[in-house]
Parts: sequence; C-alpha cells; structure tokens
Amino acid sequence: MNRVVAIARNTLREVARERVALILALFGAGLVGVSLVVSPLALGEGRKVVTDFGLAGASALATLLAIVLGSSLLHKELDRRTILAVMAKPIRRSEFLLGKYAGLWTSAAALLAGMVAITVALLAATSRDVPWEASGALLLSMAELLIVTAVVIFFSSFTTPLLTAFFCASTLLAGHFAEDLHYFGTHGASPLLAAATEAVYWLLPHLEVFNARGLVVHGEAVGPERLAFAGAYAALYAGALLAAGAAIFERRDFR
Amino acid sequence: MSLSAIPARWRVLAPFLAAAVLLAAAGAFQAALWPRIGRAPGEELLYFPSGLFARQASIGYETAAADVAWLRGIQYYGEHRLTDQKYVRIGHVMSVVTDLDPRFLAPYVFGAFVLAQELHRPDDGLALLEKGRRANPDSWLLAFETGFLHYVCRHDYESASRYFVRAARLPGHPEYVDRFAAFASQRAGNRGMAVLLWKRVLATGNQYMQEVARRELARLDAEERAR
Amino acid sequence: MAPILPFSTAPRHGTRGTPNKMKRMHERLEEHGNGRGPRSVLRAVEAPELLVLERLSKVYRDPMTLRPFTAVGEVSLALERGEIFGLLGPNGAGKTTTIKMILGLSRPTSGTVRLEGKDPWDFAARRRLGYLPENPCFYDHLTASEYLELTGALFGIDKNECRTRSAELLQRLGLESHAAKALRKFSKGMTQRLGLAQALLNRPSLLVLDEPMSGLDPIGRAEVKQLLREEKGRGATVLLSSHVLAETETLCDRVGILNAGRLIEVGSVPGLLASGVREWEISVDRLPPRLADSLRAGGHATTRVGSRWVVLVSDGPALQEVLRSMLAESAFIHAVEPRRRTLEEHFVAALSRPVPAPEEPR
Repeated sequence: MNRVVAIARNTLREVARERVALILALFGAGLVGVSLVVSPLALGEGRKVVTDFGLAGASALATLLAIVLGSSLLHKELDRRTILAVMAKPIRRSEFLLGKYAGLWTSAAALLAGMVAITVALLAATSRDVPWEASGALLLSMAELLIVTAVVIFFSSFTTPLLTAFFCASTLLAGHFAEDLHYFGTHGASPLLAAATEAVYWLLPHLEVFNARGLVVHGEAVGPERLAFAGAYAALYAGALLAAGAAIFERRDFR
Repeated sequence: MSLSAIPARWRVLAPFLAAAVLLAAAGAFQAALWPRIGRAPGEELLYFPSGLFARQASIGYETAAADVAWLRGIQYYGEHRLTDQKYVRIGHVMSVVTDLDPRFLAPYVFGAFVLAQELHRPDDGLALLEKGRRANPDSWLLAFETGFLHYVCRHDYESASRYFVRAARLPGHPEYVDRFAAFASQRAGNRGMAVLLWKRVLATGNQYMQEVARRELARLDAEERAR
Repeated sequence: MAPILPFSTAPRHGTRGTPNKMKRMHERLEEHGNGRGPRSVLRAVEAPELLVLERLSKVYRDPMTLRPFTAVGEVSLALERGEIFGLLGPNGAGKTTTIKMILGLSRPTSGTVRLEGKDPWDFAARRRLGYLPENPCFYDHLTASEYLELTGALFGIDKNECRTRSAELLQRLGLESHAAKALRKFSKGMTQRLGLAQALLNRPSLLVLDEPMSGLDPIGRAEVKQLLREEKGRGATVLLSSHVLAETETLCDRVGILNAGRLIEVGSVPGLLASGVREWEISVDRLPPRLADSLRAGGHATTRVGSRWVVLVSDGPALQEVLRSMLAESAFIHAVEPRRRTLEEHFVAALSRPVPAPEEPR
C-alpha cells in the first residue's frame, strides 16, 4: 500500500504542477464569477443560474482534467523512459497503475470540490442561504470521477494519448446515451442487433446515475440510498476496468 | 531602402502595429457589412434547437443548458420589447427551456404570460402551463397562474375558480391564493366555495385580511338571506 | 561431438578471483553443455550465484510482416558475488535488451533469469537490485531529494533512514548543494549522478548500470570508478554495460562481448588480452624505401608518421630479423616498444569474426 501511495502522491504532484490544471482551475473560478455577473439578467432566477453553472462547470472541468492529463500520464512515462527506473524497483505493475489512478482521481476530485466550494460560498454570501444539498451532487460527481478516471487509465494502458482521449470521450458520451441506445436497440427489428445492443448496454458505464444536479438545483437533497448505490456501482465498475488495465499492463515490454 | 537602415525599435514594433491596423480594418468592414447581411429580425432564433435535440446534446448538463436557453429567451424578449414588441419565437424558446428542465417553473409562467397577454394567444399560454402542471403536479404556482390566465384573459371565472381552488389545496401556497380562490368562486357564483375560502382567510390571514374576509362573509350571508 | 557453447570454457591466464572457484564454474558449465541440464548445475552449487542467465533469448516479430528478429540469442551467463562484470558490444548488440530481461522490464521469449535464485518478474526479487538506465530520465517536476524520497518509499525504507542515506549519497556524488533543485534544471552529468544515487539507495547486492560514464567529465568518471570499486569492496556485484572500453578495461574483473545478440566471448580482461598476440612497435628514422617495401611485403605494417617511420612486428623471432635488417641499412632506431593489445583492439577483432547463426525460432 505504501508503494501505491508513493506513486499516487507523485502523480498528484505532477498534475498539480502542470499548467493545464492551473488553467482549468482559473477557468472554473471565472465561470462561477461570470454566472454571478449574469444572474441579475435571469429575471429572478439568479440563484438557480449560479448553482447550475457552478455544479455543471465543476463536473465538466474535472472530467476534462481527468481526460486531458490522464490520457498522456502513462504514455509520458513510457516515452521519456522515466518508468524504467521505477519499474526496476520492488513494485508490482498493478501497484504502479493503481497509484497513477489514485493520484489522477485525487487531482480531479480536488478541482471538483474546490469549484463546488466556491459556488456554495458565493451563494451563501449573496443569498444567505447555504445550499447544503450541493454536497450530495458533489459526492455523486466524485463517484462519477472514479469511473471516468478508470476509463482513462484503462485505455492508456495500451494505446496512445490521442486515441485514449478519443475512446474516453466516446465511452463517456455513449454512457450518457446508454438508456436511449438500449431503448432503440431492443425495439428494433433484428434480434442480432438487439443482442448486440444489450451487450453494449451492460458494458457501458451508466453515467446518468450520477447526475443529481436537477435535484439539487430545485432544492432537493440526494437520498442516502442513491448515494450508496451509486458509490457501489462506481467502485465495482472502476475496479473491473482497473483489473483489466493491470492485466494488459503486466504483459507490456518496456522498450 | 535596406532593412538595417530602419532603427531597431521600429523593426520590432512594426509587426505588432501592422497586426493592430489590420484588426481595426477588419472591424471596420464587419461594422459596415453586418447591417447589410446580418440576420433579418425574423431569422433570429430560427435555428434554436428543438427541445429533444437540446436535451440529447446536453449530456448530463440539462439544467445548465436550460439556464442558458432561459437567459437567451429573456434577452430576446428584452430586445423586442424595446423595438417592435413582436415575440414570435418566445413560445418555442420557453418550450425548449422546459424540455431541458421540466421542473424549472419560471419559463412556464413567463412564457404563458407573454403568449397570452402580449401575443394574444391565451390557448397557447394555457397549453404551456398544462405541460408544466403535468411535470409538476404539486406546484401551487402553476395551478394559480392557470387560474389567473382564465380569469384575466378569457374571463372564464368558472375555470379560474377551479384552478385557484386547486392551488389553494396544494402545499406551500401563500395566503393570497386563498383570497383569489374566494373572489373567483364568488364571481363564478359558487357561493359555498367562496364561504369556505373566506373562512380560511379569516383563520390564517393577517388583521387586514381578516377584516376583508369578515366583510365578504357578511355580504355573502346577506345575499343568501335576500334570496 | 563437443558441444558448441557461445564462449570458450578454457581456463584463462591470470584469472581474477579464486582460481578454484572459477575452475569449478567452468566445469559446471561444461557439464551443462554435456546435456546434464540446468538442474544438475544448480544442485552442484553450494551457494547460488547472484545472477544466472540460462539460454536467454528475445525474439521480436515485425507487426506487419511477422518476420522474426532475434535481439538476444541464447545468452548464458553467471555472475559471482563481488565481481565487476562488463557487458560490451556495438550498438544494437542486445546489451540493453539483456539488461531489461534481467530487471523484469521485458519478458524473455525463452530461457530463464535467476536473481538470487528468484525470477525478476517476482517484484520481491528486485529488493536488492540497483539500476541506472542508459541516458536516464527522472520525474523532472521533483527535486533531487523528493526523487530519492520516492525511491526510498518504493523500497520500503524507513523515512528517517532514507533521509540520512539520501543526504549521504548526494554528498558522496557531489550533489548536496543541488538537493532542493528541480530535476528539470539538472545538467546531463548531474542527472547521471542522481541516477547513481537512486541506484545505491537500498545498498544493493546487484548493481546494474547501463552506460554509467555517459555525460561525465574525466573527473566524474574517475569518481564513479572509485565508487564502483568501493561498492565491490562492500560485497556488491556490478554489471555494467559500456562503450568506453578504456574505462572498462581498468575497472572490470570480467567482460562479456555481445554481438548481434550472441555472447561471443567471456573472460577476465588480462586473460582475453593475453590470448591476443603481442606486438612490438619500432620507431625508426632514415628507413630506405626499399627496406620499407620489403618489410611490408613481409607482413609488417610500416607507416610513415611525419619524419619518422613506425613498424609493427607481431612475433618474437621476426622482431630480431627486422631489427638486424634495419641496422644493416644504417637506419636510426629511436625506440622498440612492446605493445599490449588494448581491449578496444581485441573487441574490434572479436566483432569481425563471424557470429554463429542463430537457431530459427519456432
């Protein structure tokens, strides 16, 4: 475990010192600022606008950070051969991969939490009403990030940064449309298509589970049952992807 | 003239100056051309996406997309209020906003109001409110606004009273809803309902409201005895 | 029929290390060649060798044509404790590939590697290993101390002990004033030194160094050589691969020469060089052209260097004859120097010999 933590800490340091992370963080703060400026134009719905932009922006930026930085995380190590000195040490390949995953998730989750905190603070300051329900949306988004990060790490264990980013974006997009895909596929004529759609449906991550922004923005809290279910789903799905990624990474030759 | 004859300072600045001049020229052309080839008033928002498309495209960020559409719609209203008072697209925009976030109540209310009062299409306004009530059956506001539209635009006191009463039965409604319900019932000739509602106002209203309630109850009582 | 091994098992002259030990090792390897198999070799051993490579091979296949390319072919080698072994070879000979298979960074196509009796793919086997890659690159967002801290964490070294050891190593390698500097600001030489520091952090029993002298100035090289001798004195075994043959000559106890993936020679440096022919270099003035031609015809390299002639004579009897003929022609003999063949010359000569054809991989 110490080895995993060491790699995770190193990854976190690496991501934090990347300019991209800083730019995204500033962008996030700017987004919340802009929403504040725009809120008087919303005909009394200013609070909703700030909450929406804050939560959506936080989730989108954290996902973007995970994909953009995560897709080149492993490749950079292989390309610059920094991995050689590390893998010659007494560390399992799976531990290394897990450490990278943990570091990446922590960075993205930190960006997410930071932006949500800024949003909540601004709302508390301007309307003297603290939207505590946002904590539920935050937890769900963090659980969603467990899956997003696992998808990134999985693809990056065997392909180039560009393809990793592409496959990730595609998977996440398809994940949002999973229900629709399922509906259209199973109501189609051909049984082969229905079977294929069914298979794809169960393979894709169902990301709508983690979207509670609609609830929070209308003042409703996320139920503990939903949080528990979403957390378990995220842990299991991410675990499956990491296991597959580790198996692939184990077979890799370092040239 | 050779380049080396130009002082170093100018050689460094020249590209930046050239960029600034070109940009200014481009801006001038833009300003001159836009009124000629810009969008005709009727064209704006023509390509505003349908609600279904917008929902699909929002992939998880529907409520934020709804806010963006809402802000755009208000901007559209504001621009036309200052110019031609024609809000042709308002129905479509508010429909898209509510497709994206069905629990966002303000667009139903605002859209219905503009459709009914400004565009003189009360049926379209009522249809929008009906859509809202289907998505938000527990909303006193939408029931109230429906009643209001019936009362003010269609002078249908029977329907107005029905919706006000419905609103008065839903949780979270403010006390003026009871008064509206009472008045409308009276107007619609529904004395029994009116009495009930005024009695509620007597129980829950402030001092002024209670006075009004007492007065109206007395009047209703007198009318009844006169019959 | 005598088995064909990729290297000669004849005892070398002046073999370093205990003669009995080396003799025993050669005998065991001959037994292996006789078909008794690896198990008998290991059972006969009292204490395991530190590193044993047995018919190690790596064959790559072109992803498009599927044509096989043998990067390393049937390399067998055994490193004893406390020796410095030099792995030599031209570019593309397979040195780095062999090293990667030793470290568990690349999977062998066939053959085995045993590191203190364990498979290097078993991560615990790498606990007593230190590795310096060729042209090393480390996480440049970290400082030198932070990198050593990370290394220590991977080895499971206690934090305080790691701090002390890091400071000690940084000082020993002349980096103590750069401990807090980000690695992206390090020069090539400094990075090389840090590489040595991270390789030595766990007091390894096997130190694997790929081009350890690269990027270092002569003083740096001398310091590294001193450091490696100290490590050897501590009981560590060093496997280094190098192009700088002059350095290897004075540092290594034994060397192995790789060419096109095959290990063509293994032995101690003096032993290998002693098997080479001795030469004498005669520096002479006023050599008549007629005599120069006749010397050349006789097979002795005769070249003009400025105003002087240099004649190389390769055997003892011929030397006497050549000197007599020069004196007869009244040539002025400046010097007669015995030239010991350098490792570099031996290396070049070894490479020019044909490499035994590799077995076709299945």
